[in-house]
Amino acid sequence: MNAAQGAGTGPVRTARSARVVIVDDHAIFRSGLKADLDPSIQVVGEAATVEQAIAVIARERPDVVLLDVHLPGGLGGGGREVIAGSAALLATTRFLALSVSDAAEDVVAVIRAGARGYVTKTISGAEITDAVYRVAGGDAVFSPRLAGFVLDAFGTAPADIADDELDKLSARELEVMRLIARGYSYKEVAKELFISIKTVETHVSAVLRKLQLSSRHELTKWAAERRLL
Amino acid sequence: MTTVPGRPPLVRRSDRFIAGVCSGLAAHLGWPVRNVRVAMVLASLAGGAGVVFYAWLWIMVPTADESARRQARRPPSPIAPAVSREPVPGAVPRATAAAGPGVALPGAVDGGPGAATAPPASGGYPAAGEAAGQASEAARPWFRFRDMRYGKEILLGVGLLLVAGILVAQLLGVDVPLGTLIPAAAVLGGASIAWMQLDETRRAGLVDKTKADQAGGWARLAAGLALVVAGVLVMVSGSGSWEQTWLALLASVAVLGGVVLVLLPWALKFWRDLEAERAGRIRETERAEIAAHLHDSVLQTLALIQRRAANEHDVVRLARAQERELRGWLFEDPGKDAGQLSDRIKAVAAEVEDLLGNAVEVVSVGDTAVTEGHEALIQASREAMLNASRHGGGTVSVYLEAAAGRAEVFVKDRGPGFELQDVPEDRLGVRESIIGRMNRHGGTAAITSTSEGTEVRLGFPVAPQDSTEGKP
Repeated sequence: MNAAQGAGTGPVRTARSARVVIVDDHAIFRSGLKADLDPSIQVVGEAATVEQAIAVIARERPDVVLLDVHLPGGLGGGGREVIAGSAALLATTRFLALSVSDAAEDVVAVIRAGARGYVTKTISGAEITDAVYRVAGGDAVFSPRLAGFVLDAFGTAPADIADDELDKLSARELEVMRLIARGYSYKEVAKELFISIKTVETHVSAVLRKLQLSSRHELTKWAAERRLL
Repeated sequence: MTTVPGRPPLVRRSDRFIAGVCSGLAAHLGWPVRNVRVAMVLASLAGGAGVVFYAWLWIMVPTADESARRQARRPPSPIAPAVSREPVPGAVPRATAAAGPGVALPGAVDGGPGAATAPPASGGYPAAGEAAGQASEAARPWFRFRDMRYGKEILLGVGLLLVAGILVAQLLGVDVPLGTLIPAAAVLGGASIAWMQLDETRRAGLVDKTKADQAGGWARLAAGLALVVAGVLVMVSGSGSWEQTWLALLASVAVLGGVVLVLLPWALKFWRDLEAERAGRIRETERAEIAAHLHDSVLQTLALIQRRAANEHDVVRLARAQERELRGWLFEDPGKDAGQLSDRIKAVAAEVEDLLGNAVEVVSVGDTAVTEGHEALIQASREAMLNASRHGGGTVSVYLEAAAGRAEVFVKDRGPGFELQDVPEDRLGVRESIIGRMNRHGGTAAITSTSEGTEVRLGFPVAPQDSTEGKP
């Protein structure tokens, strides 16, 4: 309904409205986030625990779930458990992880569970709105820190042709990840590499897929060292 | 200074021949250790009274470690002192400072009349007695090793002398009841071995449950048990026939088996309760540690924030500094080497953040040890961050990549940007501190600035000794 108004904050989306569920155990943070979000985003539900979250998501079937990594309840798995509990909806409902945590194991665990991106809780209202639309549109949202984790996990050497495509990043993907880690927005990455924003998004999604699916030896080792698996 | 503040508590100490009873007793009574030991040996000769007394003390008196642990109210936290930064009182008496909290022993060292004659090992003892002191763990094996070797030789000598005495007495026609003496000696020896093992287990168990010498411990326990059982058997059955002995053995094993069968559930339950209590205590310790840390850092910062609530700049700065400190405490990887390049860059970023109040986000990939040349990189990065924070006026993104062969730092802001040519000649920040410095040290520096932000790229080749891998 506010298509024209929202279009100014970020890249133009086809549908400028999204139904969102906020999952966070801090009521103050939930209300603050709700106030920060663009009016075009409709918050259809809130939850504070793993059980509540799974129930609310199953009932509301939102476009995007803003999911805190650390949540009480369930078996102690936090956000990861919410995604696992909503696995049947993954095709239509996208998860965006929100965290104050810097710990690689927390962040990568939710991503590997199926989240489409990760942003820190200090992010501004405009940025989170943009991230919600990006995730709703099927793209991945990488913060500089997540890009840093990815580069750390996959290594900074480009893939040879002989390598399993899941196990290493291509030269282009590495470039994109590096620029994101350096603080570039997708638009700036596109400009820097003389490619379209759509291509940047494709690369980032490919990296996300690799991060989720790779069983690469180094990734396993890297994760184990950080007590991930 | 000359008045004795009170007797040191009776504890078994680590400068020992067998179990540290004599030296502990000596410290407690304020007598020279040698006198106590001689008295104990003499008492042992008087119908074994000394042996019984010794054994009784061995069982009843705790070791210094256990005693210290029992008395320690709050375990010394490794974090709390660093965070609270309480001024260390300089006027603390030397002995107390050396012994650390919770150990009441040092009085024996500097206060007791026997201090001057104390053996050298007791001088170093307080350090080893520090309840949970990490450093003392390293010192302890040395003491044990030395003392045990010494003790073994003495024990062996005493044993040989005893045997020789008995042989001589027999030659002289004195009737020595060997049939009683040998089993009794076996029982005593076996019990000693087993009890020593108990001591070791208690100490090691409190320090670390997964100890490497567990197999050796079990072997010693089994040997002690076998000695005692054999001694008792021989003593009870006297010089009876084998048949009788076997019957007695069978009967005892049957009885023991029955007793074990009845008592096993209780023993298991007792063991589980003990474990649960122990786990509870460990949790309590951790909780106390976290509470201490939160009190020293977060609560103090929150109090400061309340007082400066009117000044937004100060509040943000305090919050950022506290966040950094807490993150460092929560997520720091203890396995990582300290003082690597990423740590230095992060430290510099924290400094800039404190100085100017704008957030500086550091993302680092890979790491390397800091060499001399890296100092230039760090200083140039600092200058770049200062400029970015000062002129960019928002969050500064810093990215460090230290891969094979190369260390690179990128500093990006979203300020209005500038033209290098437009910077006056006398402003040396960019030209000298960043570009000039990097060039002098064999690095590279490049600056791109648009109306949407400025990025400084610094590159530095890796030190020659690490360059075996080469750049891919």
